[in-house]
Amino acid sequence: MSDRTVANVACLGCGCTCDDITVVVKHDHIAEARNTCALGAAWFGDGSVPAETRVNARSASLEQALTEAARLLNGAGHPLVYLAGDISCETQREGVAIADRLHAAVDSLAATAATAVLAAQRRGRAGATLGEIRQHADLVVFWGVDPSGRYPRYGSRYAVEPRGVAAPQGRKSRTLIAVDVGEYRGPADTDGRLVIAPADEVDSLEMMRAAVQGRAAGAGARFQAAIDLARRMTAARYVAIIADGEPDPAPPDPARAEALVTLAQALNGPTRCALSTLRAGGNRSGADAVLTWQTGFPFAVDFARGYPSYGPQAGAAALLGGGELDVALIIGTPATLPTPVAAGLARVQSVVIGPRASAATFQPAVTVDTGLAGIHEGGTAFRMDDVPLPLRPALDAPHGALVTVRALRERLRT
Amino acid sequence: MTQPARLRIKGGTVYDPANGVDGVVRDVCIEGDRIVADVPASAPRLDARGMVVMPGGVDIHAHIAGSSVNHARRLLPEEHAVDPVPAPRLDDGAVARSGTGGTLPSTFATGYRYAGLGYTTVMEAAVAPLAARHAHAELDDTPIIDAGCFVLLGNDDYLLRQLAAGEAARARDYVAWLLGTTRGYAIKIVNPGGVAVWKGGGARRNVSGLDDTLGSSAVTPRKILEALAGAANQLQLPHPVHLHCNNLGQPGNSATTLESMKALSGQRAHFTHLQFHSYGGAPGKGWASAAREVIEYVNAHAEVSVDVGQVMFGAATTVTADSPVEHLLYASSGRKWVNVDIELESGCGIVPYSYKEKAAVAALQWGVGLELFLLANDPWRVVLSTDHPNGGTFLSYPELIRLLMDRGYRDDRLKAVNQKLLAGSALLDGLAREYTLGEIAIVTRAGPARLLGLQGKGHLGPGADADVTIYANDADRAKMFGTPRYVIKAGTLVVEEGQLRRAPTGRRLAVRPEYDAAVTTDVKRFFDQYACVAFENYGAAPVT
Repeated sequence: MSDRTVANVACLGCGCTCDDITVVVKHDHIAEARNTCALGAAWFGDGSVPAETRVNARSASLEQALTEAARLLNGAGHPLVYLAGDISCETQREGVAIADRLHAAVDSLAATAATAVLAAQRRGRAGATLGEIRQHADLVVFWGVDPSGRYPRYGSRYAVEPRGVAAPQGRKSRTLIAVDVGEYRGPADTDGRLVIAPADEVDSLEMMRAAVQGRAAGAGARFQAAIDLARRMTAARYVAIIADGEPDPAPPDPARAEALVTLAQALNGPTRCALSTLRAGGNRSGADAVLTWQTGFPFAVDFARGYPSYGPQAGAAALLGGGELDVALIIGTPATLPTPVAAGLARVQSVVIGPRASAATFQPAVTVDTGLAGIHEGGTAFRMDDVPLPLRPALDAPHGALVTVRALRERLRT
Repeated sequence: MTQPARLRIKGGTVYDPANGVDGVVRDVCIEGDRIVADVPASAPRLDARGMVVMPGGVDIHAHIAGSSVNHARRLLPEEHAVDPVPAPRLDDGAVARSGTGGTLPSTFATGYRYAGLGYTTVMEAAVAPLAARHAHAELDDTPIIDAGCFVLLGNDDYLLRQLAAGEAARARDYVAWLLGTTRGYAIKIVNPGGVAVWKGGGARRNVSGLDDTLGSSAVTPRKILEALAGAANQLQLPHPVHLHCNNLGQPGNSATTLESMKALSGQRAHFTHLQFHSYGGAPGKGWASAAREVIEYVNAHAEVSVDVGQVMFGAATTVTADSPVEHLLYASSGRKWVNVDIELESGCGIVPYSYKEKAAVAALQWGVGLELFLLANDPWRVVLSTDHPNGGTFLSYPELIRLLMDRGYRDDRLKAVNQKLLAGSALLDGLAREYTLGEIAIVTRAGPARLLGLQGKGHLGPGADADVTIYANDADRAKMFGTPRYVIKAGTLVVEEGQLRRAPTGRRLAVRPEYDAAVTTDVKRFFDQYACVAFENYGAAPVT
């Protein structure tokens, strides 16, 4: 293929899904991915991926691989379909269709934000698309997260630097506050900082909500700084609270996620507020959206009864750990799998169709290497705020993930 | 029965109001995906003797696909858990999909259930342009029904800038470009200006009337209405502007509604879920019905069309781009609440809800909707909707039809509801009207199809789409309309003997009006300055 330059490419390196990347291809490799951050540059790499197809660790034809994969899946008692990273929504849709047909369990990388998703299911959301934070936020509170680590361009594209409709001076139009909660620290370069002991985090959020609702009474000095921040938020025109949907390690108190939601909701009484929940890459937000529209549930779904059931406490990791599954179909990059899922896969027979499938460490029975969505394959991906974006592949792939998964589906029992 | 390319529906009692056929026993013939005048005598027959034959149902306003709907689905796992939808068994070895129901069913369940009610065309009523790609992806997974998207424009930042600058032609070109690039069908306005104010933050929460200003005195709800209604008519769109007025759900809002109608006097415009905009009384001082006053205006003005947005008792979910209203509902109901501000364009608010017969306001809303139906002079311009799932789900349409057709049943139900706010309601005067089958055919298919400008829908004349629904003529109209015996979509028999048998892919309904391409240069400049997605990645052009 000839050298070329592809503009407006979306990057799946993290959930920011920056779509201003220009990919320069020379000699069938990515020579340059302009505008990327370090995460994005690593995600694009030079675009080279392995192109192997294996059955029981031996090279095989695609036909042999699909035949064996279909044999394993058709014979399974209770299979798992797992939507891993770097596949398009179109491929995810095929994956859920396979799970439906096989009466399989289905889960995805979206489960990494389970705590935040469950909090939203109990209480709702006060949110905004990232661009709306850019347009309107005059007070941005980083709650125990510095996006520059795992979401490097979040600040420059959305919440800190860019000029917006109501933020004509960009950074100067916004006040930034960092909230440090133990080891979860906010950014270094802010206009203010609040330090909260981890044991006080949820209580602090509750005290802040009470203050916003005008019902704080005699909290004492321990929460005074948090209450002062709440008053400052109440006085702002539009507050953005930035929190990590996938904090690592997981915070000790799962009530934190719900307390963040209810504080953000309460702030919409006296002023406006959006909670921005950061999610990582690989199009995991797409998996959440697809599973929701096809089944009504965002992750941890099981078709065992012939229809979708929701088991937020019984996702892939728990089912694998409990020995309840016998065959797994992994669609996507196996290296993106959460550690407990990858560990559980060592105990079942598995089929992996996705980028670098052949590099899976859990000894799958069948692997088909494909390209990555967004580098070798087109389709749709969702930003962390559920904004859909088209993918613009700059390279060709050995096998397309979508066509391969579709070919597998057509071989399954009805 | 195998799938015939030709079919004679033999001997049914046909209601085809667009062609002046009102309960006449005659054959309806199909060849391929079209209605034809006749087929050879050897063609397969479907015995419809004693049954009622109508065009497939057309839903002019529902929320079935896209970003806001999916937020609502995600919010309601408890509803999905108790309403499983196993995959239907289809003929010919075709593989169907399972799903879940509730007020916001999964996509496949949505298609199956609409078809199971005899509906073959549904308009998704609120698509934010930024998320249009998402709406189309969901519709791709919604089988059987043909569907179109109404594109949200009444709070769009670029559009409001053109109004502020007096750039009327550019505003119109922008509308045309946006409809094409999002694969939309019609212009939707939701609470013009009000959502933009809500998103702007600070002390102002909403607009209160047509002449509130937004930054510039040139930008008011009235100006937004005039610009977008004008654009729809100048672009000769098949459907006029589809308007959700300011002050939805507020006591006394009938004044705003009537003022909006007068503002667009002489122009075609469609006022959606009119029930939610037909209240008397005043904020903080109580509620009353203003249905009579509002429908009298509609009756007297042929350029106005409406869908009713009937409230039905039971579970609902309020899901709307009118986010300031949802904040009020959240504050008053204490239920869980989703708000999503959508950059530069629109909003999204969601609160689960339940209408109870014993609740005074819910009973008033139920009564107002029925008054609008029963006092309407022209069913072609006052068509059926529940604003699914806001006033109730589409599964309640058969019950609504029974309320319209069966006065005895309606009066019994009226006795059971809270009467506190119904004083002055025409319902209490003993409205005797009973809709006929012909009128039901108008408000559920012929009327919406005509208002949407869908020339192949809503009728059974030669050349029409072969979308046909056949009902057993049951005196219990809820049962009759809830369980059609046969449904044919584009010539395919999808429901046989009351069972879903086939689930073909539906078509997308979209417009592509012409515009001066110079507008895209200016829009791209705006994107480069403010937007968070590349201009080239915007819209819903199919991806490989």
